[in-house]
Amino acid sequence: MQHAWIAGKAAPLESAIAEAAKLFGASRYPLIAGLGTDVAGARAAIALAQRTGAVIDHMNADALLRDLDVMRSSGVMLTTPGETRVRADTLLLVGPRLADGAELLQRLLGKAEQSQRNAGVGRRIFWLCPEGDLARLASAGATIEAIGKDPGDLPGLLAALRARLAGRPTGKARVSSRKLDQVSKDLKTARFGVAIWSAAALDTLTIEMVCGLVNDLNATTRFCTLPFTPGDNAMGVLQTCGWTTGFPMRTAFGRGFAEHDPWLFNSRRLVESCETDCVLWISAYRPVAPEWREPPTIALTGHGAAFRQPPRIQIEVGCPGLDHFAVQHLASTGALTAVEATQPSETISVADVITRIASALPGNGERPC
Amino acid sequence: MLTRITGGRVIDPANNRDGVGDVWMRDGRIVDAPQGARAAATYDAAGKIVMAGAIDIHSHIAGWNVNTARLLLPEYHSAAAVRPTTTPLSQVGWTAHETGRLYAAMGFTTVVEPAVSPQHALHAHLELADIPIIDKATLVILGNDDYLLGLLRAKESGLAVQDYVAWTLEMSRSLGIKVVNAGGAAAFKENIRAFSFDDVVPSYGVSSRAIVKALQHAVNALGVPHPLHVHCNNLGLAGNAETALTTIAAAEGLPLHLAHLQFYGYGKEGERDFSSAAPALAEAVNAAKSVTIDVGQVMFGQTVTISSDVLRQFNARNQARPGKWLILDGDANGVGVVPYNYRRNDFYNAVQWAIGLELFLLIEDPWRVFFTTDHPNGAPFTTYPEIFALLMSRDLRSQWLAQLPPAALAVTTLSSIAREYSLTEIATMTRAAPAKLLGLADRGHLNAGAIADVAVYENNIDRAKMFRAAALVFKDGELVVRDGSVTNYRWGRALTVRPERDRAIDRRMRTFYEDRYGLSEEFLKVPEHALGRPEPFTVVPCAP
Repeated sequence: MQHAWIAGKAAPLESAIAEAAKLFGASRYPLIAGLGTDVAGARAAIALAQRTGAVIDHMNADALLRDLDVMRSSGVMLTTPGETRVRADTLLLVGPRLADGAELLQRLLGKAEQSQRNAGVGRRIFWLCPEGDLARLASAGATIEAIGKDPGDLPGLLAALRARLAGRPTGKARVSSRKLDQVSKDLKTARFGVAIWSAAALDTLTIEMVCGLVNDLNATTRFCTLPFTPGDNAMGVLQTCGWTTGFPMRTAFGRGFAEHDPWLFNSRRLVESCETDCVLWISAYRPVAPEWREPPTIALTGHGAAFRQPPRIQIEVGCPGLDHFAVQHLASTGALTAVEATQPSETISVADVITRIASALPGNGERPC
Repeated sequence: MLTRITGGRVIDPANNRDGVGDVWMRDGRIVDAPQGARAAATYDAAGKIVMAGAIDIHSHIAGWNVNTARLLLPEYHSAAAVRPTTTPLSQVGWTAHETGRLYAAMGFTTVVEPAVSPQHALHAHLELADIPIIDKATLVILGNDDYLLGLLRAKESGLAVQDYVAWTLEMSRSLGIKVVNAGGAAAFKENIRAFSFDDVVPSYGVSSRAIVKALQHAVNALGVPHPLHVHCNNLGLAGNAETALTTIAAAEGLPLHLAHLQFYGYGKEGERDFSSAAPALAEAVNAAKSVTIDVGQVMFGQTVTISSDVLRQFNARNQARPGKWLILDGDANGVGVVPYNYRRNDFYNAVQWAIGLELFLLIEDPWRVFFTTDHPNGAPFTTYPEIFALLMSRDLRSQWLAQLPPAALAVTTLSSIAREYSLTEIATMTRAAPAKLLGLADRGHLNAGAIADVAVYENNIDRAKMFRAAALVFKDGELVVRDGSVTNYRWGRALTVRPERDRAIDRRMRTFYEDRYGLSEEFLKVPEHALGRPEPFTVVPCAP
């Protein structure tokens, strides 16, 4: 059963698509936001943006771009969920919000068989400033040593740890110098350590400090990072943006070529400053509305999305991997992965809606690619 | 539809053809001149050069590694948009779409992405599916993976290795197997910082040599046309020519391909303990008839190095220009992305540039030396036209040499080499030989039955200009480029092999992935319907 609405009233899908094409085509500054969709949906959305000169952004770009900004301004040592699971003898969890990725964390913690060299060696787990997360994960059965509590102390704690690793003195930290020395010694004696954080909880300077700490540790041992990535296929959309535009999200096509600017093309800013006059909002994994007050012009969302005021056009779309086959980034594989539909339905996919909007645009066919 | 390209000088070394004549095409294939038939379309190539479409055997154009480099270096793409000719990387066309456009404009119709990890095979194919016009293929990487190393540790049979190789090729839909610093990435995870051909991977007790030999034999026994594609140990280090010589000797008469040999052409002579060892390497290649190599030519300018040799990239990270990098310890090989700027006035970079050209010119058989820059590691593929020009003109090389640091010239033999490539040798190296090396009987030549991939060039004395913008390019018989501009976007296919295997391996792999990673091995699959293109794959036959 297909559901589409025009100005809050049920309408045939065809009419909703035609009306969406009319609105998007007439826009002087179109924005595609949310972008919670699979790779096919992202590809279609980016192609539409290229044709119409729109901006593309993702609802979780803030967190994702924090990790990315550290990478593209310094150095990062990464590893995979698989290697963390089988090889890591030391985990350094950093800051709160890791329980959001509880399933992944369980997977990483739950591995019995480690590489031969690590066989028989217990895994040590440290958690810097876990806030309330620790209790939520204690049930996992792993022994976790918490260091510090308040996430506000994290930058100072990381700096002190780095200093102690380098044999330099530290000022007063919230943690005793004996404890600091013990932890830095434990990190140094790790055979293969992995630092884990969620960018949703850390700022870029803190992330850079963790990456610097890990780089320092590699002077004598092996240590990597495994940042938890935000949901709604943010990483899959980032990758798709990469090969199709050369850039991450927060990229615009208004001047006839791709331009990336994390501030200028931030969807929230574009809406609140009224620079955009037409928002296509996509949230296929969860029926969520944008965080800003104004309703989107066109909304493609999962079943049950509630808006303060109805969008001009609303079309219910299938959930990738549930209603229809999808390629998406999975935290468990750390890669773009093909996922067959677990509850196949006739609900239309984001890719199909956008492709149909694109072919209904006025002046269709004028631009060959 | 019958199409005729008339009056051009047809250079088709696979068929010993070099003379003025016609090329006929029908329904996407080359055909013999039909008796009494009229072409529906005729293209005048009088005074022009007609060759088969070119084939690039080793160019990093797609996949997680390449995409990470894009995300690491947004500033170059930004420069691209505004100033298309001023920064070298900007000319790469940093997207899948631009990659197809720029390759096609140069007359290239098939390109191989040579470094795909099985975990990212789907990602690589998604990107390849978005590269227009050309056909493409991947090489999948083995040799640092726990399963293979475990087989070798357990001294399992060659058949067990073969089944695993065949299974991996099918899952990842690849055309061949590559090994990158065999065992080096696995050793690095155990905190080993230097790794040579006879060093042993801790925990497995297996040497790099044993890994290379096992894979070489498996690929050969399976009848996979492309020989094992080897990225040797010790890339980039002074004195590493020894490693390459040892690896060449280890071929032992069986086919073996050594990638980007320039990066192993380093001796330890001279005041700075860094010199060209190209003459010795070329001599060894000339003598080892079962060995093929590609060059990995360096050209000056900004680029980015993208390599699954994670150990090498880790050790090179502090030389990043600009100073940022990414190192990934992957499920098997991993990757390192390190930006680099090769500078004309830098002694080491100038020597590297000269070594590449020495290898091109000192290896005698154009059927065994392949044209690459290891894009983008030595230089972006957009520098190919300049390199063709350098190979074809000693005068041009002299002009370049005059601008290099004299100390660099002193440790290479390049200025003494008189050889100039002929157009026939260029056609052999970029068309006929790559098709043979990859087992693509349907391309690289202009005989009846071949896919109608044809490039027509102005016979310009300025060879760089000639090769930068083909006058006409046909892909599968369709005109896709005219005067260096794409006129028609279409979608090519990915070429794969599917050697036979004992299906018992499928169950073993399921158990392995579930035990080790807690995952179904199905996550490695590349379903055809995931790619969003009709018929995205073509299977290339293996030898019986």
